[in-house]
Amino acid sequence: MSQQQGAPANANAGGGGPGYQTQPRMEMEYLCADCGAKNEIRARDPIRCRECGHRIFYKKRTKRMVQFEAR
Amino acid sequence: MAETVEKIKLLKSSPDLSTATYQIHDESHTIGNSLRWMLMKNPKVEFCGYSVPHPSENVINVRIQMYDNVSSLDALISALDELDKVCETVEDGYLASLREGKFERWVERT
Amino acid sequence: MPSETVDSRRLVGVLAERVTNVSSNDFPGHYPGEDHSWDLTNFQKNLTVKVQRLSQHSIDFDIVGVDASIANAFRRIMIAEVPTVAIEQVFVWNNNTVIVDEILAHRLGLVPLNVDPSLMIMKGPDDPPTDQNTLVFHVDITCERNPKAPKGTLNPHELYINSEFLSSHLTWTPAGEQEEVFADNKPAPTNSNIVLAKLRPGQQINMELHAVKGVGKDHAKFSPVATASYRLLPQIKIIKPIPPSKAEKFQKCFSPGVIKIDPRTQEVSVDEKNVRNDTVSREVLRHPEFAGSVELSRVRDYFLFNVESEGPYAPERILPEAIKVMREKLAVIRQAAEALRDKSTTIDSDVVMTDS
Repeated sequence: MSQQQGAPANANAGGGGPGYQTQPRMEMEYLCADCGAKNEIRARDPIRCRECGHRIFYKKRTKRMVQFEAR
Repeated sequence: MAETVEKIKLLKSSPDLSTATYQIHDESHTIGNSLRWMLMKNPKVEFCGYSVPHPSENVINVRIQMYDNVSSLDALISALDELDKVCETVEDGYLASLREGKFERWVERT
Repeated sequence: MPSETVDSRRLVGVLAERVTNVSSNDFPGHYPGEDHSWDLTNFQKNLTVKVQRLSQHSIDFDIVGVDASIANAFRRIMIAEVPTVAIEQVFVWNNNTVIVDEILAHRLGLVPLNVDPSLMIMKGPDDPPTDQNTLVFHVDITCERNPKAPKGTLNPHELYINSEFLSSHLTWTPAGEQEEVFADNKPAPTNSNIVLAKLRPGQQINMELHAVKGVGKDHAKFSPVATASYRLLPQIKIIKPIPPSKAEKFQKCFSPGVIKIDPRTQEVSVDEKNVRNDTVSREVLRHPEFAGSVELSRVRDYFLFNVESEGPYAPERILPEAIKVMREKLAVIRQAAEALRDKSTTIDSDVVMTDS
């Protein structure tokens, strides 16, 4: 919600812990499905890997803890 | 004391309890069938049967009908006592056999 | 002492297409003029419990002289109501392996733990976790390339470090008094070699696991046994002598070792020690030349138990634990029945007073 703040990109990167603060970032890091390279893609950027030109990406796993029942 | 569900509920019964259906909560065929067997060993019991009315309900119904207007609740309690003796006897026999040690020992590979 | 002519009332007939005399009938009033009412001393006299075989994982024992309902109660309790400790909650911080979180959590739940359940209490659904009802384990492994991998190898164990997430990677984190309580037997999986997931370089797993005490009727992961089963002792009665020329064919109709052939006279007999190994396949009943020469049956009150332990209990401990659970159940019901009796007698006397 508070992502419209003009905070510098990556201000919160490497914070490590679960999202205590909502991260004021416009771009996200995605992983190329072909070569695995990290790509920062902003809204309306072309979906294209900077390393290999592949057009399929994976979203990174959440940094938050997820709870499951072992059943 | 603070139990919200009672372990045994009396369903249909005659006033002198010579015939009664007991609903036992949180029990299954394990207790139902052995209790039925032990009650049927009692010569004063005219009829005994049990059922699991529905698998979604964690209860059994035990129906007991007695001869001579005897209390079925007394029969139920003595059957429980006797089942406990059965358990004790089997356990004693088992532990005695184990202590005696006259059996084959072998090594199972994992 | 199997079959020095077992009383025919104790036999369940096994015919080619049917079984006969299946139900027990040792009840008062079934046979006129006979007393079959419950008699403890008689029961104690007739009961035989004998351990036959014991290994570090399994036990075979016989219980002779009880009704099927009792034997079945023990079997059911061994499977479903003897408590053990198993992983119940999985908190995943990271898992980018190919095994998805849900499946990995389920697999973790099924790992048998070596924890003595008597050292823990049951955690109710609304109870907060404490050092008495919850054990905490952690997993934190990352797969990397092995810089010292031999040239040309294709073996993942040599190519990569931590290419497998094994049950031995679960590390116990003691809390509160657990360090002392579990001092002589540190909580861990009974088998340290269970592969839970495979990893490749860059993949990692970081989780916290909460193990609680439970029973098999809630979830099979809490069951202390791999199998707990019984069969009835087979009985083979040869009525007509088998011709020597057919002796070998007759022998082959049964499991190995069940039928003996006298090497001199070719006379066929049943090996009383080994009859228990027969599967009662009824193969012999398919051959017309053996028609009417043999009767197959099983002894209704002769239970051959086989119990395989998986988890914290030694195999020989499982039946005593089951009996303990059974007696606790009986005590609880008895208490409730007595409370009911006290209540009904007071109501009765109230009724009498209002009547008079």
